[in-house]
Amino acid sequence: MKARRDVYQAIADPTRRAIINMIAGQPHNVNAIAEKFDVSRQAISLHVKVLIDCGLIAIKQRGRDRFCEAQLDQLSEVSAWVDQYRQQWESKIDALETYLEKLKKERYGK
Amino acid sequence: MENKKSSTHDRELIISRTLNAPVELVWEVWTKPEHIANWWGPNGFTNTISTMDMVPGGEWNLVMHGPDGTDYDNRSVFKEVIPFKKIVYEHISYPWILATITFEAQGEQTLLNWHMLFESAEEFIKVVKTYKADEGLKQNIEKLGAYLKEML
Repeated sequence: MKARRDVYQAIADPTRRAIINMIAGQPHNVNAIAEKFDVSRQAISLHVKVLIDCGLIAIKQRGRDRFCEAQLDQLSEVSAWVDQYRQQWESKIDALETYLEKLKKERYGK
Repeated sequence: MENKKSSTHDRELIISRTLNAPVELVWEVWTKPEHIANWWGPNGFTNTISTMDMVPGGEWNLVMHGPDGTDYDNRSVFKEVIPFKKIVYEHISYPWILATITFEAQGEQTLLNWHMLFESAEEFIKVVKTYKADEGLKQNIEKLGAYLKEML
């Protein structure tokens, strides 16, 4: 049985992130993607396959060509986690704010 | 998908806040161990600061004590310290973070910018995911606490 691939696996690799960035603006076929990178066509095909398995790329047949289209909905899951982590730092600054108010009251009585 | 041009956008966190206190006070509260121990760390945590040598190359050792008794070691080294303006430190225990904090005096207020740069996008994602796990645990403990209060 194959392990289920997820969005984190998809974006864990710099080449895959670059591929997503590239096709986010405009669908490309695999050859066009491969030309932009300094790695073998096979390596790009493998990255594209991982991205398909992760649901970040959909293949659309257009005439003879097969185009890779970005499916970016899933990336919002990542940003939701980043937001939660950001919240931790926000609450640190909340605590700083509260402490400053307390100090101001103690020192200046206001 | 914003800030595409920045090469660090996928491994950084930026937080800004205007604090209702003059920069001298904000600086003091940020740089003196007896103050920082009062606000650093998540809710319910206490802190012990054994070293805080605020000069370039100086060490900063802070242990956060979690509500469940777990200690979290935070070792950092200051890289840059410009009084009332800027602090740069490198968090050298896990996770590696380069933090840059700037203070901007705005009359009786201070604009604080807190920038955290992680080693790589991979590390950043890992930290964020781990945090979510911890956060879930924390919420569970909070829920338990609230529940126990109701029972009293």
